[in-house]
Amino acid sequence: MKILIADDEALSRRLLEKTLDRAGYEVIAVDNGKQALEQLCKPNGPRLALLDWIMPEMDGPAVCRAVRTRTEQPYAYMVLLTSKGSKEETVLGLESGADDYLTKPFNAEELRARLRVGERILLLEDRLVEARENMRFRATHDQLTSLLNRGAVMDLLVRELHRSHREQKSTAILLGDVDHFKRVNDTMGHVVGDEVLVEIAGRLLKSVRSYDFVGRYGGEEFLVVLSNCNPSYAPGRAEEIRKSISSRPMQTSKGPLTLTMSFGVLLSSEWGQRPVEELLHEVDIALYEAKAAGRNCLRMAQPAAKLELSPALLPQAVRRRQ
Amino acid sequence: MNKKEEEFSEPVWNLPELLERVDNDQVLLRELLDIFKEDFPQTLRSLKTAVTGEDLKSSSRLSHTLKGMLSSLGAVRAAGAASKLEALSAAGETASLGPALKALESEGESLVPELDAYMAEVRR
Repeated sequence: MKILIADDEALSRRLLEKTLDRAGYEVIAVDNGKQALEQLCKPNGPRLALLDWIMPEMDGPAVCRAVRTRTEQPYAYMVLLTSKGSKEETVLGLESGADDYLTKPFNAEELRARLRVGERILLLEDRLVEARENMRFRATHDQLTSLLNRGAVMDLLVRELHRSHREQKSTAILLGDVDHFKRVNDTMGHVVGDEVLVEIAGRLLKSVRSYDFVGRYGGEEFLVVLSNCNPSYAPGRAEEIRKSISSRPMQTSKGPLTLTMSFGVLLSSEWGQRPVEELLHEVDIALYEAKAAGRNCLRMAQPAAKLELSPALLPQAVRRRQ
Repeated sequence: MNKKEEEFSEPVWNLPELLERVDNDQVLLRELLDIFKEDFPQTLRSLKTAVTGEDLKSSSRLSHTLKGMLSSLGAVRAAGAASKLEALSAAGETASLGPALKALESEGESLVPELDAYMAEVRR
């Protein structure tokens, strides 16, 4: 584990350096507060620090205060080294953000024991961060396919639509539905149904660029968002994505299975600034049209054509899609 | 025992304590003594200039540095003298700085021969 020593006095610094080196630490030694702060703010910098109280440029408590203002980086455990003994000064040191203090000259045994306390705290922090990250992943991802879940993909879509509107670019929204998925579940069982969904998720992810995103929108419905997508290329790219599903059979525990998907496709640039719910409703209608046209195909959401229809003639959202 | 006697009963150089601190590493000990032989006279000279010029800020900082150096080395009495000088500088007691510096120098004078003798012995 890396540890930072900041002391302007060479003899004490060398003694400390060697003691910690012997205790198995990877030691970084500096001779003023400013350099200490720089080290502590580096990405992957030391997270354990022994800071002398009185130093040129910046004293120990000032380094602690500055380090505590960082919010992005992991916690740093800082011990102030002091020859001061008064209670007032101890309080001042701890209030500046130090975790502990040691009086000089230090006792090697006590120093190592106090650093082990620091390591315990850091380990605890790491575990909490890991747990939080796991929770965050679970809250935003679909458990079966590991794709973004509906809530997360909607949030990203809203952000992406704002961005493309601001930058006068186009975002392509693809809503895809697996054709005759119920039949897979009914004839081959839910296990195979799940295998198929996982395989489809993988194929969809592989068929887009790293800055596009794919989410599981519902049971067998997937939402693909192509950011900054040139409108003239969009149908071609959507076709490629459709073919990535139908072009070759999927391997399941009950043998190979060829499946297809139908897609509704919408280009945000053709619709002006509209609420995301409205756009999703339109792409849903296009998907319905693809289903009606015989499945395994895509249909573009067309704003111009719609204007000629009266609201009463619009397809209803309630329908079957087997 | 009164306070004065207690101070003088402390050793000039607490070698056993230092050996424990360096974990009996003679190479490290010699390295520390080399650093001391170079840094101590230099810092002491700067301190003298600060005291002569009544530069309280510098004399406080330099005596603090010496205190750290001396206490790390186990030079208990000299560290005490440096500590006094630091306190007097911080308190602005200009008139007492001269005598306090003399006391520190005299502690240094009794310390250095002990260190030299030790180094001569281990190098034999």
